[in-house]
This record gives sequence, structure tokens and C-alpha cells, in this order.
Amino acid sequence: MDEQWIQSVGIDVGTSTTKMIVSRLRLGRMSSTFSLPRYQIVERQLLYASAVHSTPLLGFDEIDAEGIGEILRREYETAQISLSSIKSGAVIITGETASKKNAQHIVHLLAERSGDFVVATAGADLEGVLAGKGAGAEKRSQTLQGTIVNVDIGGGTANAAYFARGRAIATVTFHVGGRLIRLDPQGVVQYVSPNISQWLSAKGLRIQTGQAIGFEQIKDIAEHMARSMLDYLTGKERQVSGLLVLGPHLRDAFPVDELTVSGGVGQLMTAGPVNSIADVSRYGDFGPLLGYVLQQEREKGAYPVRWLDPEQTVRATVIGAGMQSTEISGSTVHIKPELLPIKNIPILKLELTSEQLTDPEQLRKEVASVYGMGERLFEKTAGIPFALAISGIGYCSYALLQTIAQELADQYRQTFTESKTMVVICETDMAKALGQALALRCKGAPEIICIDQVRVEYGDYIDLGEPISGTIIPVVVKTLAFDERP
Amino acid sequence: MEQQLDFLVDKVVAELQKKLGEMGQTAPAGTQKTEVPATPQMEAAQKATSPTVREQLALPVEPERTAHVPNPKWQEGLNELLDSTPARIGVWRTGVRPLTKTMLQLRRDHAAAVDAVYGEVSQALLDEFSMFTVETQYDNTENYLKRPDMGRILNEEGVRLLQERCQKKPQVQIVVSDGLSASAVDANLRDVLPSLTDSLKSYGLSCGTPFFVKGGRVASMDHIGELLQPEVLVLLIGERPGLVTAHSMSAYMCYRPRKGMVESERTVISNIHRQGTSPIEAGAHIGTILSKMLEQKASGVKLVL
Repeated sequence: MDEQWIQSVGIDVGTSTTKMIVSRLRLGRMSSTFSLPRYQIVERQLLYASAVHSTPLLGFDEIDAEGIGEILRREYETAQISLSSIKSGAVIITGETASKKNAQHIVHLLAERSGDFVVATAGADLEGVLAGKGAGAEKRSQTLQGTIVNVDIGGGTANAAYFARGRAIATVTFHVGGRLIRLDPQGVVQYVSPNISQWLSAKGLRIQTGQAIGFEQIKDIAEHMARSMLDYLTGKERQVSGLLVLGPHLRDAFPVDELTVSGGVGQLMTAGPVNSIADVSRYGDFGPLLGYVLQQEREKGAYPVRWLDPEQTVRATVIGAGMQSTEISGSTVHIKPELLPIKNIPILKLELTSEQLTDPEQLRKEVASVYGMGERLFEKTAGIPFALAISGIGYCSYALLQTIAQELADQYRQTFTESKTMVVICETDMAKALGQALALRCKGAPEIICIDQVRVEYGDYIDLGEPISGTIIPVVVKTLAFDERP
Repeated sequence: MEQQLDFLVDKVVAELQKKLGEMGQTAPAGTQKTEVPATPQMEAAQKATSPTVREQLALPVEPERTAHVPNPKWQEGLNELLDSTPARIGVWRTGVRPLTKTMLQLRRDHAAAVDAVYGEVSQALLDEFSMFTVETQYDNTENYLKRPDMGRILNEEGVRLLQERCQKKPQVQIVVSDGLSASAVDANLRDVLPSLTDSLKSYGLSCGTPFFVKGGRVASMDHIGELLQPEVLVLLIGERPGLVTAHSMSAYMCYRPRKGMVESERTVISNIHRQGTSPIEAGAHIGTILSKMLEQKASGVKLVL
């Protein structure tokens, strides 16, 4: 087998819009026939992109699950895609929607109705990274010496992701979005998100529900909001602008070289001038104006960054989710196909130092302490408590492999007596050898799944899909917490 | 022991070259200096008995690869390029020629390649795996290089030894040979072979009597196949050494080896060494390939992996 296609779907349920895409990913053999098999995703094709639907809501804070189900059913029909043919993909519930009360319920419902694929739930960091990939910022960063930031501005939130040399290095989320302030056609304010009230008062800006607002006044607010976000992104000022940040702040100041803006507001940047309340309120919120003032900032060029056009705007997140969320593991692995797929496994990291690799006593202690942490952090389960991600092993000799396998297996069986499956993820190409060494020791109690060449971090969750052609495992790594990393 | 000393000498020479490179014009002073740290190392090596220390000595420590480009415009990018290839890039120049240190490194790597061809596999290593040795009709290394055909046929003594000591018609026959690089066997056998044995155990496959072929060529599998008639045979053999590494090994596998086999009936995993295909992972994967050969009763291009 030299070539294989898998179908992947992406669904993005946002604060204001819902969209889905279907794509296909080509797996190609990257190694010669004289080497160990190594497959990679060599091509990602967009097969179908749905229209941009308004997200159906029941009242202000509940997503209409049935409504979304109906949209998807129709879209699958139009796309002529059968659920069983979908092998991978991600559902993202974005922006403020994610904090709405039935988000969890929706995710499960969508998982059932969109095929038995790998599902990723919400998380602002993951969303920012996927949008950045969909907008082409990750690809651009591979050709760039410096850093590029993509900010995806939707209805409720703006998710920014910084990329350098092809890797996401940081994310930050803002309370910046079109639907944070809603207006009727006469300019009467219908809604102001409570999330921005602190920032408004720090800026000395006034806006209230029921107030009839003038064009200049609303434009002033939009300009301040756009500049605050740009101040924060470029590191110009982070005290007041920091009030707009949702969740963790950036730890370091990044020099930023290039900037792209995606999302619905990114698309509105190119929609032409907004000169009256009627122009502003054409979608019932101040989104068009936010896009326009950002475009004006771009033309002014007051910030020391190069503004680039993103590859995708309103569909950046969904395209990222559908086309860029899937990776594949190394092709020499140790698995039991009947145990897959497995979903939502948290990562526990075992980072080995050269001292621990040469001294069995130190290795034993380190494994004990990491397992101890696993015991405290995760519930006891008859399934899989965590996936152990091992790094720091450079060249692994057979003797070293035996020592490591012995410690891992012995202590696992003592500490996690109930667990029926042990999942191990290696950084370097050694999964088949390690999996085999563990399996010879455990003899099925627990079963062993060992994969490699997938990069994971603390705080990540991982989904493993059903194997393709026996040994190729689609993997979705869900990065949830960038800034908690050491 | 002799082998270890050789490696130590290699190490010292490498150290010396590095120092020489750094010293530049004050070379004579550098030579004297580098000899000082060598002595305690030799003593330590003579005392060394623990397996971990022995393992560390199994290969000369590779000097860290750095680019010699003075003031590169983009250091990070240069490092990325270096990480992406073992080729000699970023070596800089003096006038139109390479730097002395580049030349020394090249000559050292070339010497290691020559040594690999003319070297011998450590007897202690073969004893560790209880392997006895048979020879082909190669006679001597000069002749081995000129007459590949003679490396494909065992000598009379070898034929007799196999018939006397080997299990006939085994499911899996493992054979090890020096081929063109004895040091490839020295460097990788301890990792590849036990991993392969474990893999066979996992698949429930049984294994005949393993042995070592001195002066062997890949097609010696055919002659051995005629004599022992295994269902599948795997030959772990040292590859033609190059300037990137002299320690690369290949695993040639085939279903029912016999005289007159064509090359397309052999399956191979090549480039097994520290910086290439991981030896333990290769060992584990060879087991998978052998089990598929037994299942499909085929090898080479006919085998579906």
C-alpha cells in the first residue's frame, strides 16, 4: 500500500455562525521500500464547504441542539457523504458558545450524528491554533524568520495564535467580537456583553442597553477595542488592554513580525466602508464596524507589523478543524485494533534525564513519582487513566529498553491495578520495540497500546482513531493549556 | 579488549583533531595538551567491566556537528539545516579549499570506512549470543573484494559444520555476517538481535540455530537455504560503509531461500544504525515481516506489507 485517502470532517459551532467542511487527507509513504514504513499526510484537499449558517439558539444562552442536528443532516445530504466513510475530524464549539450551558450535550450529540470519528471539543487555545492553521499562518511561519500571529475574530471572542518556524508557540484569547455589542437598525443598543464592562470603564467609555447611540460614539468604542487588541498582540501596552483577555495572559513579550486577521470580522475588513448606523447594524451588531476600523488601522500602518491577507477568513477555524487537526503516528507501533478508537485521554509526561537513564535506581524513583502524580490527578478507572508520554530518550539500546520496560510495567501493574489498557506515547521511533517489551511482561493485563512520533505536552488530551491499513493511527492532539507549560 | 583500545585511540585522535582545529596555529602545544586527558581515560577503560560502561565504549563518541560559517546571518536557520541532514554542509572554506578541520574529519571518516571493511567482528560478541563461525570461500579480504561470487558459497568446512550443528528445516533461520562492515555487526547486533528474538517470541515463531558467516555476501543465503531448508531466513549483514557512517547494517529476508533465487524475491530493511533506522525498532519490525512472509508464503516484491 503506497497511498491512502481518509475523509475528515470539521464542524465549527460559533457564537454567531455554524459551518462544516469535508476534506480528504492523502497518506503517502515517505520512506523507501528498503526502510521501515513511514507515512505522512502529504496532501489535504477540501471536498465540500457548507454555507455559513446562523447558529440556532434558544433564548440567549442555549444552543438549539435539534436545529444544529438538522443543519448537519442537510449538509451531509448535499455533500453526499456517508457517516461511515468519515475516519477523522473535529467538532469545535467556539467562542462564547462554549460556555453556554448545553455545550457538552451538543458535543456528544454531534459526535453521534457526524460519524464515528475522532472528536475534539472546545478549548480557546486549540481553537486559536486551528484557526491559525486554517488561515495559513502556520504554513507562512515555515517560510519566515520571525513570528506571525493570526487572530481569528468571531462573534464572541478573538483567538490569537503565534507561530514560529512551523510551530504554535503561544495563544491568547480576547473578549473581542462582533456580537459583544448588539444594535437595532435605529442604533438602539440591545445588548452589551458583561465581559467587557471592566475594560469599558477603564477606558472611560459609556454604553448601555436601551441607549440610542450615535455613529461617532460607537465608532469610538470600536476603534478603542481594535487598538487595545492590537496593543496587546504587539506588546505595545498590556495593562488596560489586558482587561480584554479571557483566561491566561501571555507570559512573554513576543516580537511579532506579521499579522493576519481571520474569522467573520476578518472577512468584514474587506467589505467596504461603514459610514452610518444603518451600515453598522446590518447584522444586528457592531461586527461590520469592528472589521472596518481594523481595516483602517491596517491602512494607517501605525503598528510595526506587516499585515497579510489570510488564506481563509470566516471559515479559518472550521477548515483548521477539518483539515489540520489530524496527524498520524509513526507506522511501526504496537496496538490491538479492537481497542481503538479511544478518546479524550489526558497526557502524563515522563521526561527522562541522562542520569535517570544510566542509573536504574533514579529511573525507578522518577517513574514512581510520575505514576504518583497520575494517581493524584486522574481518577482510578478500569479503562485508561492517562497516556504516558515518554521523552528524553536519545538513542535507546536493547539493554536500556529492557530496564525502562521493566520499570514501567511493574509499577503500572502495582499502582493502577484496575486499568485494563496501558497507553504509551514515545517521542522517538521506538514504539514497536517498547510495546513488544511491555506486552511480553504484562501478558495482556493490562493490554498495551504504544505509538510514537507524536508531539504532546502537559495538559494535552489525545484521541486515537481506528487504524488505517492495520498500523497507521490517526491522532488528534487537543492542546488545551499553552501558558501553563513550564 | 583490543577492539576497545582501537576505539579509544579513535576517540583520542578525534579529540586531538578538535583541539587542533580550535588551536589553529599553536598546534604543537595543542598536541601535548591533548595527550594528558587521554591517560586517565585509558586507565578507566582498562578497569571498566560494567555493561553500561562497555556499552558507552562500543562506538567512538561522535564530535558534535557545528557549522563553521563565521557570523551566519541566521544561526537558527543554519542549525535547522544541519539537523535536517547528515551531509557535510556549512563547512566554510579557506580560500577555495576546505578548512583543515573539515579535511581531517573527512579523512577520519574515510579511515573508519576502510577499517570497517578490513576489521573483524568481536569474538566476545559472538560468544555472547553463542554463535559459532563458518567461512565462505572468500579466502582473504583482498580476494573477497575482487570475487563476490566466492563470498556466496560456504567452504567445505562450513558446510560440514552446518550439517553437524544446525537444526534442519527450522521455521526461522537467523544468520549474521560481517559483509563489508564488521563494525556494523559490532555496533548493532546487541540491539537488533534480542529485539528480533523478542518479536519472534511475541508471534510464537520458532527459531533454528543461529550462526555467524565470515566473508559473507547477501546471496550466501541461497547456499545456506539449500543446506538447512528453513521456511524463512533473515541475514543480518554489514553494509558497504560510507562517509556518513561505517556502522550501518542491513537485514535481508526471504521465503524458502534456495539456489537460483532472483534478487526481487528478497525483502530488505537497510540503514540500521544509531543515526538511521533505529536498531531496536528494526529488530521488532523484522519479526513482523517474517511472520507476514510465513502467512503469505512469499517474499520480496510478491510480499504485501
